[in-house]
Amino acid sequence: MSGTDLVITGLGLVLPCGDGIETARASLASGAPCFADLPEALGLGRGAACAAFNPVGTIPPMQLRRLDRPSRFAWVAAHQAFADAGLDPKAMGERIAVAVGSLTGGSEASEAFMRPYLQRGPEGASPLVFPNCVANAASGHLALAYGLKGPSATIVDRENATFAALEQAARWLRLGLAEVALVIGTDGLFPLLLDLCRGARMLARHGDPEVGSGRGFLPGEGAQAFLLESRDHAASRGVRPRAGLRALASSSSFEDTVPGRSQALARAVAALGGGSPERRVGGANGLARLDALEGGLAEAHPEWPGAIHPKRLWGEFGGSGGQLLAAALLEPSDLTLVTAPASSGSQFAALLEGVNLDRS
Amino acid sequence: MNRPPQRVVVTGLGIVSSLALGREGTWSAMLEGKDGLAPLTRLSLPLEPAQLAGQVAMDPGRHQTLCERMALGALEEALDGLVPQGDPTRIGVFQGAGTSGLPVAEAFLEERLAGRRGRASEPAYQSPSTVTDALARRVGSQGPRGTIMNACSSSLLALGQAWERLAAGELDFAVAGGAENLCRTTYAGFSCLKAVDAKKCRPFSRDRAGLNLGEGAVQLVLETLDGARARGAMIYAEVLGYGASMDAHHPTAPHPEGEGAARAMTMALRTGGLDASGIDLVSAHGTATPANDGAECLAIRRALGTAADAISVTSTKSQFGHTLGAAGAFGAAAAILALRDQVVSPTLRLEEADPICDLDCTPKVAKQRLLRAALVNAFAFGGNNTSLLVRRWEGR
Repeated sequence: MSGTDLVITGLGLVLPCGDGIETARASLASGAPCFADLPEALGLGRGAACAAFNPVGTIPPMQLRRLDRPSRFAWVAAHQAFADAGLDPKAMGERIAVAVGSLTGGSEASEAFMRPYLQRGPEGASPLVFPNCVANAASGHLALAYGLKGPSATIVDRENATFAALEQAARWLRLGLAEVALVIGTDGLFPLLLDLCRGARMLARHGDPEVGSGRGFLPGEGAQAFLLESRDHAASRGVRPRAGLRALASSSSFEDTVPGRSQALARAVAALGGGSPERRVGGANGLARLDALEGGLAEAHPEWPGAIHPKRLWGEFGGSGGQLLAAALLEPSDLTLVTAPASSGSQFAALLEGVNLDRS
Repeated sequence: MNRPPQRVVVTGLGIVSSLALGREGTWSAMLEGKDGLAPLTRLSLPLEPAQLAGQVAMDPGRHQTLCERMALGALEEALDGLVPQGDPTRIGVFQGAGTSGLPVAEAFLEERLAGRRGRASEPAYQSPSTVTDALARRVGSQGPRGTIMNACSSSLLALGQAWERLAAGELDFAVAGGAENLCRTTYAGFSCLKAVDAKKCRPFSRDRAGLNLGEGAVQLVLETLDGARARGAMIYAEVLGYGASMDAHHPTAPHPEGEGAARAMTMALRTGGLDASGIDLVSAHGTATPANDGAECLAIRRALGTAADAISVTSTKSQFGHTLGAAGAFGAAAAILALRDQVVSPTLRLEEADPICDLDCTPKVAKQRLLRAALVNAFAFGGNNTSLLVRRWEGR
């Protein structure tokens, strides 16, 4: 899918470095990783937690108690994105679609629900926790919070779920099923996830993750919200886009091998239709197989600028990949290439044009 | 609404259900009024008051989850020996998942609570998309793939995704559907919400008291009409379009008047370019919970107007239980086979309809009738609604 008809007009960020665009921009510019020992409530070991996240004042207290971590992140990020885009969602809720990418959406609640059930039987089961066990809980909470009534999808395609959500949102806009789409990537840390990642030997055990080291990643969490609309629709609202979505492409391999996936990633990049990127954002995370995909791509394109790797600073969110898109929107550029490798499933690539920080 | 350039048809259909391991066995049992609900043996939950479920006579393989095994079984039947040809980058795979990886996570958590190490393998914990990847390997896909987790509307939205891509001319061939296996989280969860009936469920009945859970898989092969004709494929039905909406009403309950559900149906009619008078069947979500069925019937009236008086409505939940992430695909399969054979499968145990369910809900026995087109409904927690529009294939 390609074309410059779609633009990103709103951005909202909840990241381990803190909330908001300016905080994220400063974090990216500093190049300093955000990893630290995790609070015990989230799990043992090191990671990039959203330690300073404070939704009070944005999420009403009654709702706050009912939400799981990914939904809280998504709510606040969406709030920022609507404000950034100057759009009142309540005024056009039926024409706003929501597409969410997540790996951990629902999982934190599943652990919170099952732990007491397994220990105490049915008496331990909480009807207040169970509704959050579904991955699409966040989209339901967002719908309630902002009066959103358009199409909704929650997509769980490993590291690239947010790219898949962006692709779905673009399709709905082009089909005319919505006028605006809220695209969200959201993931939250919880003990069982850390335990599973450690058991599967995916985590970096010494120091911060290094791209190309093959020593593994460190987990992160947060939410990224992107408001997508047609260029004409944005113009009619008098809103200057943050960037144009020049092209977005995915490709996959039926072989679960590094060469197969590398070829798929290369196909996705080729499908973008060319252009000389001025800036490049990559999805390598320190895990050997992900780094290899991107390493091969860089070798084949020596003319490209060196990539920045946001996962090295903010962590691997597992299912979202939205941190790559966020990073792509934080520095001005005529053409920014995002390469998003995944450990399986679809490989994505995107071209953003006219990334513009000046919204005045 | 920009009209898509390609017509999309269903050329393969596979079912792994609690009634039978196969399409025709399942369908004939449905028409005979059988159900797959039986005492729960898949899980040991002796303290749960409800002990009924629709269980598939299949177990996980040594290196496969049950979901993966059921999904691949359904796919083999849908393909019927076909090896997809052509450009592999124009073959897509779209799957709906509900619980999928949860049984593995549950087992790991249980081991940890018992003070044991547990077995953590990456594919297991990431299994929602692992099922999609396994299906993609089988059909040699190098094209787009997607795993939707919209709870109970997941697989119907996956079918909508496939339709979108094929209709837009981006793909030639796609596999879409869903698989779901019983697990303790959902069993305990619906139970603690008081949404499970200890007896066999009774959709649309005045005395309906909740759902039964089920498991199974349905896979559909979808192609562009041009591609299907070029290879001389047998065509089951045409997919005309779909709609999706959110209620923005409640985390678990549907909008009481079916406002969001009606919008999904209306959108499906609009994308499909069909008038309400062209619909003869609604394959309903029909969970048999007190809140759902009444709201759905109101939604059908809201979407179809006076045309609703002439349609048939049916619920597969009375035969398979609620298969959650696979439920929409089960509903689609029932609608497609109904259109093929011009017969509506029954809603079992519908003795006395709730006055609010004042449509022809096909009580107890199958009904022969003219069926031109059908809407398939699937609604989910979070107020996520999906409706798919399918039309009988008449060779044109």
